[in-house]
Amino acid sequence: MSAYILETRDLALAYGGFRAVDGVSLRVKAGTIHSVIGPNGAGKTSLFHCLTGGRKPTEGDIVFDGRDVTRRPAHARVGIGMARSFQVTSLFQNLSVRENLRLASQGRDGDRALAFWRPVSAGRAHLERADRIMERLNLSARANAAAGDLSHGQQRVLEVGMALCGEPKLLLLDEPTSGMGIDDIPVMTKLIADLGRDHTVMLIEHNMGIVMSISDTVTVMSRGKVLVEGRPDAVRADERVRAAYLGEAG
Amino acid sequence: MVPLPKGVWGGTTPAVLAILALLPVAVPSATLATEILIFAMAALACNLLLGYGGLLSFGQGLFFGVGSYLAALAMIHLEVGLVAALAIAVAAGAAVATAVGWLAIRRTGIYFVMLTLALAQMGYFLAYTLSKWTGGDNGLLDVPRPPLALFGVELASLDGAYAYYAFVAVLFLAVYVGARRVIDSPFGSTLVAIRENEARAAAVGFDTRHFKMLAFTLSGAVTALAGALYAMLINYVPLDNVAIAMSEHIVIMTIIGGTGSLLGSLLGAGTLVLVGEVLSAIWPRWPLLLGVGLILLVMFLRRGLWGGVESLIARYRRRGEAAE
Ligand SMILES: Nc1ncnc2c1ncn2[C@@H]1O[C@H](COP(=O)(O)OP(=O)(O)OP(=O)(O)O)[C@@H](O)[C@H]1O
Ligand SMILES: [Mg+2]
Repeated sequence: MSAYILETRDLALAYGGFRAVDGVSLRVKAGTIHSVIGPNGAGKTSLFHCLTGGRKPTEGDIVFDGRDVTRRPAHARVGIGMARSFQVTSLFQNLSVRENLRLASQGRDGDRALAFWRPVSAGRAHLERADRIMERLNLSARANAAAGDLSHGQQRVLEVGMALCGEPKLLLLDEPTSGMGIDDIPVMTKLIADLGRDHTVMLIEHNMGIVMSISDTVTVMSRGKVLVEGRPDAVRADERVRAAYLGEAG
Repeated sequence: MVPLPKGVWGGTTPAVLAILALLPVAVPSATLATEILIFAMAALACNLLLGYGGLLSFGQGLFFGVGSYLAALAMIHLEVGLVAALAIAVAAGAAVATAVGWLAIRRTGIYFVMLTLALAQMGYFLAYTLSKWTGGDNGLLDVPRPPLALFGVELASLDGAYAYYAFVAVLFLAVYVGARRVIDSPFGSTLVAIRENEARAAAVGFDTRHFKMLAFTLSGAVTALAGALYAMLINYVPLDNVAIAMSEHIVIMTIIGGTGSLLGSLLGAGTLVLVGEVLSAIWPRWPLLLGVGLILLVMFLRRGLWGGVESLIARYRRRGEAAE
């Protein structure tokens, strides 16, 4: 088995005539935290949509864990070990925290949840996983609260937890700190660093503090293309990266 | 104290048992009581789609009609017994609903609703056109009500109104308990998840189309069972059974009772059948009042009659706690 859990080749995604992802080839080494950064509109989320199956790439292919998953629908990628969180919080707002996590655990088994004759309580493994992850997220005290009633910071943590319930080999997190208050960010940073010990993590993030402190590799995207890739300190020092961010500001 | 039964036999099931026992004496006739249960069954099936799956289907009348026609035709032409006729209706309802679901779930929102409507309309015209079989406008006459028999052994005649009520009540209980099991299953909980947030449900690994289709299959099976029982009740299959108005009727019962609550469906069906019975004797334009009632309900009791009952209970409890 190769050391890379994910490889893309010349990946492109066009919205109409506009190429949001424009020929991206990258490789994610198993067991690392690999961050993707870049100015607003660089195509980071669009890249994630392709990787997770939310959208079909218009060109190129994706190999995950030794198999071509380019045309595999999103739900079918969970069972082989991919899970994602969303930039814009996407939870089951009216359901309890525990039920959110239980459903996410159940999703790992896909169509086996079609069993309409079995009580939910028979799926003990799902309940246990939900409780274990709730503990890890520090949300046990809010187990029975509706997800929509959590604070924004807690909702972001739950958003990451939902992906965790898929017991993925590769965890794709799209701006987990988006909209979070300054007080909550260290909690999230610690959580992600912690997850990086058991999973390969791909992370989109605007917060440079987090990116530089926990990443093994950083890919910088700009206008749909990979601009620079390397270790955090090398990327930080790169002139082109500075120019890209400045270009956005100016 | 005796511990309360848990699971599908606990909760609202004892209340349903009590209602089943009291209904034939509480309403003017056993026939009316039977009609209530039959429509409650159809509303229950609609509720699975609408209340739990968030799927507004106007195909319910089609499934009801398919059950009515197929059970009646099987009894008339193939001379099958009661159990076989019901089984045929259930299988046909499941098959037709699966097909309707398979097509309709390719779209969401308003387009989904329009597809169910269009397919139901096609079913209606098909029944109208096949008048050699369905009787067309005149309806299918002389539908028998065979005795309850298993393996050729006759167990009970269902000719009496009370005997037939008892038979339907047993089936209703089975459907009710079954529906509670379905709601509380991995499948039911996933259906709710899809209603809440389909994109997230797909992202955590569910192929949402499979779940929606199964919801249609189950709903169609139960609705067709209700249709077959209705044909045997009135010994007749009017073309109305398969009309859009039947779908409307079933959907309105479900909403009046309260979506997302199984007991609500019984309440909704009971209310509509009873109100219709009483008002139609006084004033033939009574559906006008029904319209007004529906408007008030949607504006002031968003969770339906059962939602209203629940908030009353909650208020009563709170007052009880405050008094202590
Ligand atoms: N559904 C869509 N249809 C058309 N254009 C889109 C769509 N989604 C994104 N875009 C465009 O594609 C480009 C890349 O968007 P994307 O969301 O991938 O960027 P991003 O790097 O994630 O940005 P941000 O940091 O703001 O989240 C943007 O110019 C955006 O306007
Ligand atoms: Mg983005």
